Amino acid sequence: MQAKAELHAMPGRRRWVNSITQYVVALGGGAVIAAIALIFFYLLWVVMPIFGGASIETGKVYELELSPPVYLDVNESDEIGLAFGAGGDVAFWNLAEGDTRATLNLDRSISDIKPVYPRSAAYAVLSSDGELNLFEARYPISFVGDERRIGASLTPIYSDEWIDLGKVRDFDVHLSGSRLSIAHLNGRTLTLDIYRDAEPEFELEIPRSRSIELDKAYDRLLFGPRGQWLYLLTDAGDVAIYEVTRAGSLNPLHQRQLAQEATPLTAVEPLLGRYSLIAADANNRITQWFVVQGEFGLTLEPVRSFELDASAEWLVPEPRRKGFAALDADGQAHLLYTTSRRILTSHPVAAGTGVNAISPRSDLMLITLPDGRIASYHLKNEHPDISLSALWSRVWYEGYPEPVYSWQSSSADNDFEAKFSLTPLLFGTLKAAFYAMLFAVPIAIMGALYTAYFMAPVMRRIVKPGIEIMAALPTVILGFLAGLWLAPLVEANLAAVITILLALPAAIILMSLAWQWVPDRLRAPLDGWYGLLVVPVIILAVISAFSLGPTLEDAFFGGDSRNWFLTVMGLDYDQRNALIVGLAMGLAVIPTIFSIAEDAIYGVPTHLINGSLALGATRWQTLIRVVVLTASPGIFSAVMIGLGRAVGETMIVLMATGNTPVLDLNIFQGMRTFAANIAVELPESEVDSSHYRILFLTALVLFMITFVFNTVAEVVRQRLRSRYGSL
Amino acid sequence: MLHSQTTGVRSWLTSGELWVWMNAAAVGISITAVGGLLALIAVRGLAHFWPADIAEIHHLADGGTPAIAWGEMIETETLDIDQYRSATGDTSGITGDPASVTRWLVKTGNRRLDPPDFQWIYEHRIDHIEYPEAVAVFERMEWGNAYGTLQAVLENGEPVVRGEGVWPEFNTRLARVESLRAEIAEIERGEFNAINYELEQLRLDRRRLDLRKDLDSAELAEAQADIDSREDALQARYEIAEQALRELLDERARDSAEILFSNGAVLHIDLAEIVRAWLPNQMSLWQKLGHYASSVWLFLTEDPREANTEGGIFPAIFGTVLMVLLMSVLVTPLGVIAAVYLREYAKQGPFVRLIRIAVNNLAGVPSIVYGVFGLGFFVYFIGGNLDRLFFEAALPAPTFGTPGLVWASLTLALLTVPVVVVSTEEGLTRIPRSIREGSLALGATKAETLFKVVLPIASPSILTGIILAVARAAGEVAPLMLVGVVKLAPTLPLDGNFPYLHLERKFMHLGFHIYDVGFQSPNVEAARPLVYATALLLVLIIIALNLTAIMLRTRLENRYRGVES
Repeated sequence: MQAKAELHAMPGRRRWVNSITQYVVALGGGAVIAAIALIFFYLLWVVMPIFGGASIETGKVYELELSPPVYLDVNESDEIGLAFGAGGDVAFWNLAEGDTRATLNLDRSISDIKPVYPRSAAYAVLSSDGELNLFEARYPISFVGDERRIGASLTPIYSDEWIDLGKVRDFDVHLSGSRLSIAHLNGRTLTLDIYRDAEPEFELEIPRSRSIELDKAYDRLLFGPRGQWLYLLTDAGDVAIYEVTRAGSLNPLHQRQLAQEATPLTAVEPLLGRYSLIAADANNRITQWFVVQGEFGLTLEPVRSFELDASAEWLVPEPRRKGFAALDADGQAHLLYTTSRRILTSHPVAAGTGVNAISPRSDLMLITLPDGRIASYHLKNEHPDISLSALWSRVWYEGYPEPVYSWQSSSADNDFEAKFSLTPLLFGTLKAAFYAMLFAVPIAIMGALYTAYFMAPVMRRIVKPGIEIMAALPTVILGFLAGLWLAPLVEANLAAVITILLALPAAIILMSLAWQWVPDRLRAPLDGWYGLLVVPVIILAVISAFSLGPTLEDAFFGGDSRNWFLTVMGLDYDQRNALIVGLAMGLAVIPTIFSIAEDAIYGVPTHLINGSLALGATRWQTLIRVVVLTASPGIFSAVMIGLGRAVGETMIVLMATGNTPVLDLNIFQGMRTFAANIAVELPESEVDSSHYRILFLTALVLFMITFVFNTVAEVVRQRLRSRYGSL
Repeated sequence: MLHSQTTGVRSWLTSGELWVWMNAAAVGISITAVGGLLALIAVRGLAHFWPADIAEIHHLADGGTPAIAWGEMIETETLDIDQYRSATGDTSGITGDPASVTRWLVKTGNRRLDPPDFQWIYEHRIDHIEYPEAVAVFERMEWGNAYGTLQAVLENGEPVVRGEGVWPEFNTRLARVESLRAEIAEIERGEFNAINYELEQLRLDRRRLDLRKDLDSAELAEAQADIDSREDALQARYEIAEQALRELLDERARDSAEILFSNGAVLHIDLAEIVRAWLPNQMSLWQKLGHYASSVWLFLTEDPREANTEGGIFPAIFGTVLMVLLMSVLVTPLGVIAAVYLREYAKQGPFVRLIRIAVNNLAGVPSIVYGVFGLGFFVYFIGGNLDRLFFEAALPAPTFGTPGLVWASLTLALLTVPVVVVSTEEGLTRIPRSIREGSLALGATKAETLFKVVLPIASPSILTGIILAVARAAGEVAPLMLVGVVKLAPTLPLDGNFPYLHLERKFMHLGFHIYDVGFQSPNVEAARPLVYATALLLVLIIIALNLTAIMLRTRLENRYRGVES
């Protein structure tokens, strides 16, 4: 009665606690499950944009009071547009509102404007009288209270003094530090003026000038990479490359015809870095050319081409990437990217357009319409450099003699072409896992067989948890030992290490043979202790291999095994190589495989074993024909889980290899794996860049590989469990 | 088990005994490899602290001139005679026609006087070796060890004692310097640190004022005046502390020691530069053991010096422990609740089985993937948004939007959740239905059964899970490299400044310390013993944790054998 009274006294509180508990537990359980899903979906969410396409959206149309535009540009922050009119009038306008911010007049009619290569927001203006001056646009930012204001001004870089170039067909300007180079063409005469100490805001001094006579009259002139060479082009598509030496002299390097099958060219532009020229022809084709160092010196080669539906009239390179826009005769604008060979998107714009520009951030394009107005288009084009083929196939990168697989994500240069081939990384991952498994699988499975089937129970009770503790050994320690102790040791004693491969099995065979003659009286009690008995034999074998090593090295490897492998086998030797990784990572994987395989073998029902033995099979026959066969799904799942661990292991690979992304199966060379690559590069990667997303992609790939391996293993194991149950 | 009774080669071939031995060898190799590695780490790690005797090596230097070197003989190496000849260009001094020569790696210290601090001395060039009692080791704050004899103790440059009785005087004065050093550290770490922290808070307060729009000018002026006055107070405190510090520094600089080096040079070294000094050649075994113990103690409690290659590893131990503790606090409720849900509340069926497989699989997902997730989701996404919402004043410098302690703990908690879930579930499965039903039959609600009966019985397996999770987290490095670990943290994440526990700070970690010192340090050779010692400590911690877990599990199994039957 007492209990009942109490139960009635606080039913509300008890019921309340009960249901709260239920909700909290369900919520908590759900949260953990959600967290698992979250990992997958978050990785996917970061990765997805690289597979998203690009788009062009029509923006505003601006009506400026300006003579016909000859040059357009956009400032760094996409706020201000800049237009030069043919009459020498210049306008800055607000891209959001369309209102004019500032105007000025250069007091000369303008015939041509070029960007000062490789600077941004710097312009070389050529008047119709053949006078040249350099200007720079500045957009100072100020705060009035909390309001951000942006200004706009155009000032001469050096002075108001214009340089007289005389009659000019075409020109280009290169500025590097205080060295200003101006090249200009007049008929067959090419002149290069070099100003060595050009100080901003000071008048330019007398240049060192050099002229040469060309074999024919060219129509266009472009500085090449870092101003080290000059491209000369005719309208017919002839191209000549001249080297510009430090001293300023010009040497012919190479000549070529860009037009293929005598198809006239419609437009030629350089890409960022000016290693590449893109040429559009009347056959609706756009071809990328770049200079390749070949057998016969430098040659300009067609690298890849794109087919459009109409011939491109304008090519507009992106200022910060190796992509460009093409405006074709049908009035379509296309976005293209060279490295990934993608035509990303197309969008109708007016036909017969004029000068145009893409903003530094590649998200805005300005196009002059036939009526002189300027139209803007918003470009959404975050990751044009990635495509399946850019990630997995051979890609012909700028400056390479042929298409290659290469991973090189960053460099000190701004005009660097990032190389995002995942093939070497996947190869490295599989190579490391392969050598690790080669070492680990036999040892782990054989060890598991012995432990589960032959070992004395007393010893098994110690060995099993002992090897499981080995699984908990931090991989950073294994990696450190592998990199700093094992690698130099193996390098110095390569012959001895190879000897171990022979000495160890030989020693075991001898031991086993010798054991036959040990009296049964001694043999019987030690039956389950072979695992311990072989330890001295193993140690002895290793020691003798090390002491025999130098002798064998003299006998078989000519006294220097590393050199022998290089000269006879053609194998390079890195100190930190796949052999070291295989050994160290193998050691990390052994306990995983061992533990699961041992469980599977140990779980084989005893009546099967006894039945087999009773039928007269030896214990070895029983093991192979009955036990291993029954436990094989479990062993398979052990190997899968071990493989999953080897694929994702980071620290060992990071420390025990040189982390060079090479494609070489050679056991004496290193590799770079997905995991190590992430650890090395992700901290320095810019958030949301293509590089960042690709690293997330590799993490997702790792996640999925191991998830698939583990799921297969788990399903197999559960099947096995029910099978044992039925047995 | 049956055993064939026959002997001889033929039966040996047919019985498959060879294969049994091969399998046994696989176990043997595993045992040898693990044992060997542990022994290697232990020997190298422990040897680091032993006060080795200092040899006085009379040898011929490279030019053939007789020279004396004082140093610890570290190891020998044999060198092919051709390699030797090409390395030294020397043929003299070799009698007969040996195939190889032996050389000693000698740690001669004195990195400032004549670098490098390691020398190779060829055995055939050694005339004889002595162990003079007067040679001492001076462990310095910078430049590593110095080996020399103490000639005199000086005060303000004037000798106080010379010759006889110099060591007692040196020791008393070194003790004085040591206490001064402690006082200085107190000021630098305590007072200075606190003042700097508060100044930074004031800067943020000021910025916060700028960002606020709801204050009128009077309120604004008042608030600014308040900040100004607090800042002035801090400045005053700073000056007082600086004054005290300067006096202490002057005090500390008073004494110096005159030391004679093996090459005959005599130098004055400030006692302020000397950490410890000892005379290994005079020490008895017990004294050496005592010295050994104090070396180990210093290693565990001191800050690192010389770009982590010398000194102790205290911040790394502290960081590891704190991170692991935080992680346990996060992972325990998550893992236990998830396990309770899966086992006690969820309807058993294919869905729960699927989830169980997923949780199991999660344990096999590479740790670096968790690091990537932690960096992207916790640091950049959650941390970045926290900064925008609550720490606007500090922007653009990120507060939580950068790797730090809390994100590392969270990431590792996620990484170790499967461990706790699996272990707890195992414990829950083992509890017989009869116990639960008994509780319910007595009128307890499901929650009461859970809290009063089920969880207490399962508590050892929960504990096992937590211990295993801790062991895993303590050894994990790859994800931490992305979400919060640094090679050298200027301040500990726990200090005397409110709110005491600074979750956003970066921290040091034993595992990362091994990677960093072993692979990124400028002087790997000198740092190597320290890395072995650190590795030994980490291995010991992890083995101890795992053994505890295994013992708990065994005890648990034994306990339930009674309940189940």
